[in-house]
Amino acid sequence: MKKLFALALALVMVLGAMSAMADGYKVAFSQIGQESDWRTANTDSIKAAIEGHEGWELIYDDAQQKQENQIKALRNFITQGVDVILFTGVVSTGWEEVLKEVNDEDIPLLLIDRLPDCIDQIDYVAAFGGDFVEEGRRQVAWAGEYLKAQGRGDEKVNVVIMEGTTGASAQVGRTEGNLAAIKEYPNMTVVGQQSGNFTRAEGQALMESWLKSIDKIDVLIAQNDDMALGAIDAIKAAGKVPGKDIIIVGCDSVKAAFDAIVAGEMNATIECTPLYGPFVVETIEKLIAGETLSKTVIHPEEGVYDMDGGIDLGTVVSVKAADVIDQRQY
Amino acid sequence: MKQRLNLSVLMRSKVTWAVVAEVLILIVCLIVRPDFFSISYQPSTGMLYGNLIDIVNRSSEITIIAMGMTLVIALGGTDLSVGALVAVAGAIALKFLRWDVTVYNTPGDYTVYPFFLVLVVPLLVCIVMGLFNGFLIARWDMQPIIATLILMVCGRGIAQILTNGKQFTTGYSPFRVIGQGSFLFLPMPIIITAVVVILVSLFVRKTAFGTFVESVGINRKASRLSGINAQLIIFIVFALTGFLSGISGLIYSSRIMSNDSNNAGLNFEMDAILAVVIGGTSMTGGKFSLLGTVLGSIIIRTIVTLVYYFGIASEATMAFKAVIIAVVIVLQSEPVRNYFSKRAASRAKLANGGVK
Repeated sequence: MKKLFALALALVMVLGAMSAMADGYKVAFSQIGQESDWRTANTDSIKAAIEGHEGWELIYDDAQQKQENQIKALRNFITQGVDVILFTGVVSTGWEEVLKEVNDEDIPLLLIDRLPDCIDQIDYVAAFGGDFVEEGRRQVAWAGEYLKAQGRGDEKVNVVIMEGTTGASAQVGRTEGNLAAIKEYPNMTVVGQQSGNFTRAEGQALMESWLKSIDKIDVLIAQNDDMALGAIDAIKAAGKVPGKDIIIVGCDSVKAAFDAIVAGEMNATIECTPLYGPFVVETIEKLIAGETLSKTVIHPEEGVYDMDGGIDLGTVVSVKAADVIDQRQY
Repeated sequence: MKQRLNLSVLMRSKVTWAVVAEVLILIVCLIVRPDFFSISYQPSTGMLYGNLIDIVNRSSEITIIAMGMTLVIALGGTDLSVGALVAVAGAIALKFLRWDVTVYNTPGDYTVYPFFLVLVVPLLVCIVMGLFNGFLIARWDMQPIIATLILMVCGRGIAQILTNGKQFTTGYSPFRVIGQGSFLFLPMPIIITAVVVILVSLFVRKTAFGTFVESVGINRKASRLSGINAQLIIFIVFALTGFLSGISGLIYSSRIMSNDSNNAGLNFEMDAILAVVIGGTSMTGGKFSLLGTVLGSIIIRTIVTLVYYFGIASEATMAFKAVIIAVVIVLQSEPVRNYFSKRAASRAKLANGGVK
């Protein structure tokens, strides 16, 4: 009898706790999936920030890199009657319809990281994301300035650009930045430009093929670190020395890239910070307080990390990776 | 005369047309870039180096899975869970190599748990998952496409839970051997694939197992009445496919020395099914060709390599692949095969008449 009573009591407490949670402010987050370490750090940062906030409840959805999953998740959020939606789109197009449905329900929309193309046609409260074009520019500029510092500023160099998933806003923006910056360095010629889908395996297979189809490759611009890390193994398998025979510039600044730079197998990585948690919390707090928010896209401050540091890119000066590796959170 | 008649039979075989398709693709490669076929010796890795090696090497994962898929399709089913199992195997292997990344926080040449666990546990788990598929299909009479959909959907979830959604990296050199090592001047995956293909072929063709599979695929009830234990056959085939997916997963994760729960094995089920179909096994079950499947898998990889090698723009890649695959499938279609087969037969007759 006593046991039964205890059980009933426990049940009441659990139910009580659950109903209290249900009364909380519901923050829904539609994430792309776990495509890379960067994405994981991004997810962890936002999850931790919201779950750690008193009175807020997180409804999280992992779309496993499929647009149809994300559309389904967004519609689920609407039926669940969430209070705010955080959204990162796996590709940049095809969101008009579902985002308008979100607008119709007057659910505040927070755009994070990858911004949809239809951004001008929909209502959102705030947008926060990396400046992909600038990141792409920095990648090429780093290689160009590094070559100058090495006294190879006039040498004709062949550049290959390993693109991300075709259509993703990071790929579109970084490619635009890459190609614009190439024009600033007349000694650079693009000899290869294809997609490695942002994954290590495809980056490796693509590099393996390039090393056979292109006679001379001097610089590899990989639009994320994972593809660069995959390419390193392919370069070794071809009997070349990564970081010396071929200059490798990645993007994102994940921990594994720092390890590779310190080991001398990769030259530089352009930061694209995933730690959006604090921003998200701050914005939602403002939203609840009823403050008006600016619609201009907010870019975080980001660095450039390389083997020796001191390369001036105009907007930023590179930092030696070995000096800051211990402070990296992801 | 007999040879001529055989030509007609040959024209009717789907495997012949798979060979024709592969040769056609390679001829296109040769015309556009004569150096496509060059193979050299790479002293730094002790391996042969060239596009043809790459094609066979990178087709390994699909070839190995497609061996199991051929038998599944011969049974009249499909296994959609193979891609997810690749991710599970990789996640378990990396979990045993790194265990707790907060304690062992830099990837290096070490493993937290003994190496045999790194190899054995993923394979055992994949066998169990294959048995789970077999159980649903054989015992509960579920349709294979529905039964295997369960693991296809939740497999990647399991892989992510195992690694807390993180991508672990390792530097453990014995693990590297599986995907990047070499044996007899060839990349290790080619050797592993060859062993798998030979063992599966022997098991299927040197015992009555292959005949049993075909018979169950054609008519399960009739086979049962004639004394074949159809349930056992289904169990064995799905467990084998699970096991082979596990091997494929170990190769995949060893190539990148990391687990990648969302991308490892992504769409492998589709590629494996395509390899089987191109290889001439009918989706309706019954007769199958393991050799045809190997060819099918190599054709798929040749297309991917072609896309890379000729620098086809990222936007056009999918359309390009689709066109080539459409051509291959059309080449193998009933009317085309019949047309060439009849032509060969009538030519043989004509030649015969001429001699008389």
